[in-house]
Parts: sequence; C-alpha cells; structure tokens
Amino acid sequence: MDNLLEIRDIHTYIGQFHILQGVSVEVPRGKIVALLGRNGAGKTTTLKSVIGLTPPRQGQILFDGLEIQGQRPFDIAALGIGYVPEHRAIFRDLSVGENLRIAERKRGELARKADFIFGLFPDLKRLIKLPGTHLSGGQQQMLAVARALVPDNKLLLIDEPSEGLAPVIIEQLIEAIRKLSAETTVLLVEQNFRVASHLAESYVIIEEGRSVRSGAMADLVNDRETLHRYLGAA
Amino acid sequence: MKGLLVSLRKNRTLLIVLAVLLVLFLLAIQGLGTPAWVITLLRGLSLSAIIFLVAAGFSLIFGLMDVMNFAHGTLFMIGAYVGWSAYVRPDTVLDLLPPVALLAAGLLLQPVWNALLGRIRLPDLAARIWPWVGLLLAAALLVGVLVGWPVSRWVPGNPTTGPGGDSLVLDLALDANLPRRVPASSGRGPVWALVGALAAGAVGAASLAGLSRRQQASDFHHRRIAWHTWLVLGLLLFIAIGAYLANDGLTEWLYGLHTMWMFMIALLFGVVFGALLGGVMEVTLIRPLHDRPIYYLMITLGLGVVGIELVQALWGRTEFTVPRPALFRGSGPGCPATDLASWLQNHCSTILVFGGRVRIYEEIFVILVGLVVLVAVTLLLQRTRLGMIIRAGVQDSEMVEALGINVRRVFTLVFALGVALAVLGGVVAGPRMGLSPAMGESLLLLSLIAMAIGGLTSFPGAAVGSLLVGLLQQFITAYSGVGIKLPFLAEPFKPTPPLVPASTVLLMVIILLVLPQGLLGRKE
Repeated sequence: MDNLLEIRDIHTYIGQFHILQGVSVEVPRGKIVALLGRNGAGKTTTLKSVIGLTPPRQGQILFDGLEIQGQRPFDIAALGIGYVPEHRAIFRDLSVGENLRIAERKRGELARKADFIFGLFPDLKRLIKLPGTHLSGGQQQMLAVARALVPDNKLLLIDEPSEGLAPVIIEQLIEAIRKLSAETTVLLVEQNFRVASHLAESYVIIEEGRSVRSGAMADLVNDRETLHRYLGAA
Repeated sequence: MKGLLVSLRKNRTLLIVLAVLLVLFLLAIQGLGTPAWVITLLRGLSLSAIIFLVAAGFSLIFGLMDVMNFAHGTLFMIGAYVGWSAYVRPDTVLDLLPPVALLAAGLLLQPVWNALLGRIRLPDLAARIWPWVGLLLAAALLVGVLVGWPVSRWVPGNPTTGPGGDSLVLDLALDANLPRRVPASSGRGPVWALVGALAAGAVGAASLAGLSRRQQASDFHHRRIAWHTWLVLGLLLFIAIGAYLANDGLTEWLYGLHTMWMFMIALLFGVVFGALLGGVMEVTLIRPLHDRPIYYLMITLGLGVVGIELVQALWGRTEFTVPRPALFRGSGPGCPATDLASWLQNHCSTILVFGGRVRIYEEIFVILVGLVVLVAVTLLLQRTRLGMIIRAGVQDSEMVEALGINVRRVFTLVFALGVALAVLGGVVAGPRMGLSPAMGESLLLLSLIAMAIGGLTSFPGAAVGSLLVGLLQQFITAYSGVGIKLPFLAEPFKPTPPLVPASTVLLMVIILLVLPQGLLGRKE
C-alpha cells in the first residue's frame, strides 16, 4: 500500500516525561486518517513529533519515503507538510492577509491559490484586512486551516479543529476539510467522534502514549465495545 | 464608528493613564517659563532618543527570542568607544581592518565546510575530538597574528598619549580651524599574518561546523550556499586587501576629511560593527544554549562584565570626551544661530528657540537620529516580509518554524539588528555624554524601566516608555532648580538629585499597578 506518512514505533519525551511510548501510524496517500483517544493520550504530541516540534528519541518517521525524524521543523515543513495546531494558533498581531502571506514558501503562491482558499472559506476574503484579534473563534479556525493551504502541501496535520466551536461552524469546517482532502492527505486529531467519523476513512486509537488499535472507520462506528473502552463514547 | 467605540472601551485604562500623563505634563510646563520648558522638553526628548536606541534592540530581541540581553548596556558603551575610535583615530581602525576582515571571511566559510563535512564519515572518537583541537589551533593562530601585527594606537590611561589626549588634540585643531595632523605610519604588517588570520577563521569555522555536525542525526539534504554569502565574502576580501595595500593613503585621506563626514563614517562603521558583533554573539553564544533561560541570563550578565573590563584594558579607566563634529561647534560671531539658515552659515553649537539657547548636537541631532531609527524600524516591522515574520515570531516562534520558515536565521538577524541599534546609540551618545566604562549600566536600567512602562515585548511600547522616562527625568531635574510650589509648604519643594532616578521607578510602579502588562503590552 502506498503510504505518504509512516510513523514507526516512535518514543517522544517532553522534558523527563516519556509521553509517546510506541506510536505507529500509517497514512495512505489521498486519505484522511483520524487519531482518536482520550485527553492526554498523546495525540497532539504525535502530530508535533511529525512536524519536529517535539522530536522523537526513538523510532522512525517516513514522509514520502524520506526519514524526517530529528530534522528541524522548518526543514520538515518545507517538504510539504502543513500544521494546523490546536487552539487556533493564528498570529493575532497580523492581519488575515498577512497570516496567509506569511505561509508562502514561494512568491505569488497566495495569489495562485486565492480562488481555491476563498472558495472554501468565503468569509476570509471579506475580512482580509482585519487583525487576527478581531476574528471570532470559527473565523480563526478557518484562517488556521487556510494558512496551511497556501503552500503546496502534500500532507496536513490538523489538531482538534472542532474544539469549542458552534455546531453550525463545525458543519462548515467538515465541509471544507472534506473538499480540501480531494487534493491533500490529512492526519486529523479529533475529540469529537462524530466529526472524526464523518471525515476519516480510517482511524488509529492512542491510549497512554501507545497506538493500540487501528482499522477502517466504518468498522469502528459499529464497534460499541471499542468505542466505549477507549473513547468513553457510546 | 462602532469599531472606534469598541476600541475606546477596550483601552479605557490606557486612555485614562495617557490623559493623566498629559495633564501632569501640561501642569509641569505651567511651572516653567517658555524658554525653560522648551529646553527641558528638548533635553528630555534627546535623553528619550538614547534610551530608545537601547530599549528598541533589547525589546526586539526579548520579544522574539525570549532572551533578556543584559549585555545590552555594555554593548551600548562599547559602541561609544568603537565610534570614538573610528571618528578620532581612524588610523588604528584601518590598521586593524585587514586581519579582522580576513578572520570574518574565514568564519563565513562555515556553510562550505558544512556541505563538505556532510560527505565525510569519521570514526566517532575522531569526530568528537578534532573540532576542539581545531578551535584551539584557531585561537593560537589568531593570537600569533595579532601579536605580530603593527597597530598604531594610544596608551590607555596616559593623559597625553591616551585616548583623552587624542580627543583634546582634535578639539584644539577644530577650534583653531587647523587641519588634523596625520599620525606616523605604523608600517605594513607581514603577509604571513594575513594568511594566518584567514586560516584562523577558516579553521575556526570548520571546527564549529564539526561541532554542530555531531548533533545532527543524518545528512538530510545539502543546502546550497546562498549567493549573499559569496557577496559578503568578496566584500570582506576587498576591504581587507584594500585596507592593507592603501593603508597610508587612506589614513591621510580620512584625516583630511571634514569631521562631519568622519562622524558619519563612524556612525556607519558602528552600525556595521554592531551587526557583525551581534551576529557572531548569537551564533556562537546564544544559539547553543537553546531554550535554557538561566544560562542566557548568566552568559549575558557575564558578557556585560567582560565587556567593561575589555574596554578598560583597551581604552583605560579614565573618562574622556568626544569632540563634537565641526558642524555643531561654532561659537564666534553670528552665534547663537537665530534660524536654520544662519546656523548653516556659521555652524553654531547653539540655536535660539523661543528665546532659549538649544544645543544643536545634543538636543536636535540626537533626537533626529532617534526619530530616523523609530521610523526605519517601524517600516521594517510593518512593511516587509522579515518584519511580518518578526511580529509573528514574537507571539509564537514555534508556529512560524512549523510553517517552514528558518526562524534561527531570523533570530540571528534580529540579534544583529538589536546590537547594531545599541552600538549606534553609543556612537551618537558619545559627544553628548562623554565616554566612561560605566556609561552603559545606568542606561540599561533606564531602558529596562522604559520597557516595563511600555510593555516588555512591544516595540511601540519601548518607544513610548523611553519618551516618558526621558521627559520625566529632565523635568524633575529642571524643577530641582526652580522648585515646585506645593500648597502646604512655605518653601517651594526642590527635588534632590536622588529623586531623579527614583521618579522614573515610581512612574513605573504606578503604571504597572494600573496596567500590569504595561501601556502597550499584550494581556496574556
């Protein structure tokens, strides 16, 4: 099978804490894979390990066949990985337009992608001059996703996009992520199982720093026992 | 309209504080006569400009990198001394240029070594040891070169042949309107020393490359060496060879220049020197301590002390003055100038503003330099991609890096910029304050207070804070002569000298009690 991203048994420490104790994830090209698990299980750390913000001490991460573990984040990102962190980490002191322009890796990228991006998030076009502080939570989240779409990314790492957003906004986001996944592979972290099950084709469950289960999303939806045991959902 | 109301409500406390400050300022003006308050205002602005030049760099560096650079005051002081040297003794600087430029050129070869070393595999032990041997070798080479290199220089501590004597000679020559006497040539240094300097730089760079190589897991991809590296390299070689071959001719030319041009060259030299010093400091001392704040604190404090000792060893402990350039020192007929035209004609040191005598260098030129820097840095931050990255990095440098931007290179640039601003401040402050090894400490303190008032990581905050601190200091000083008439006191209250620094701290305490994040700081 053709995997764009392969995480092989990584161990990541934050300070003295052994956060990831063996996580393996395979993300097939062109698919959406959801990382599931309870709070503090290590989902966010897994994404940060891929992008290099918390580099793993052991294990391998293969992106497009290239080993990327231990490289600096900007080198990893430049290979074509977009990171959308949790809590809508947009740059508050920059305007919406600047938030998008800063993500350009080549001159004129934003201009080329503008139609696609503003097609997904029409609101942003209207707000282009506004500073990031003046955006609502939903608008900030859309900007954070849009920012990752400016350069030619092959893979998006999206962390908790629906966190703290109103249901209407969540619907819009699901729609946008589904549309963009036609061209991009996505590794998604999502607490909201309903959102994850709507979007992802397959899943990996992380429990206490280990990947414990994986498979097709369609199977998980009907597997009440697994859902209850690992996610506390019924 | 609605947006305006919202932002008014959001910043209510800030606006009230500013209104109170404005009222206090107007009251302060009322107590002084017209020429007195104009002069006090200009003096305050001039002090603000110098505080700002230190605070600006400090706050840019702290905002982006979370490094409190406590060496900033010392760097300001070093700037003043280096500026003096370029201005009063250009022959010494010229003598030192060839080996220093070649050393820098050698150090610039590091990316070349990085690319080469990526292809060599050494046994682990050898790979671990050779960089340290290399560093020792480079240091030994450098010492050998500098010992054998002829430099015409002053004798620190000696009243006539020391730096103070040089200043005095220039002062007298300027007052008598005589050409400057060109000092005796120090002779041409040996060519082997030049090769040695280049080799010391190259070996040092290779060792540093070797040291950083060990920390990288695998050779990921060989980055191409940027064209600007080659450009700077070529420029450095050109400067080194030019200064070596045409030393005597250049010395003579520089000594024949108008002192205003000499001073401008000194300003430019200071900026370039500061940028290089800052860049080297960041790469060699700050970067390896990545994310260890206590070590940042210790190393910058330590560097501050080392810098003071170094300056005392090279220029001596005694204070001395810097002669004002010829454009700002006339005192004969037609002085003080009454307007700009008459100043341009007579080059007076003072000009009449509302009937008061204002010193042109101290109270106008310095303010202008501060304004130019304020505008230039604001444009850089608001209008360029680099500025955009800096503003984003102040908030979240990890996220900037995760976008694929080499944040470390931006760190180096910002550190270089910050140090360059401090050094520029030192050069400008020299003729105003005089030179002493302790001049940086008090200024660092003032700029820290200014930044606390304005908001620690905010660049406009640094400007506003500097403005308030400078004005407050000068107005309190002015009132120590006139006295403030208070309702319950028979005698007017005259602030004593210790109250001058105390007043700024008091202002800081009051503002921080009302606005804990400073005037323009961001609420966390």
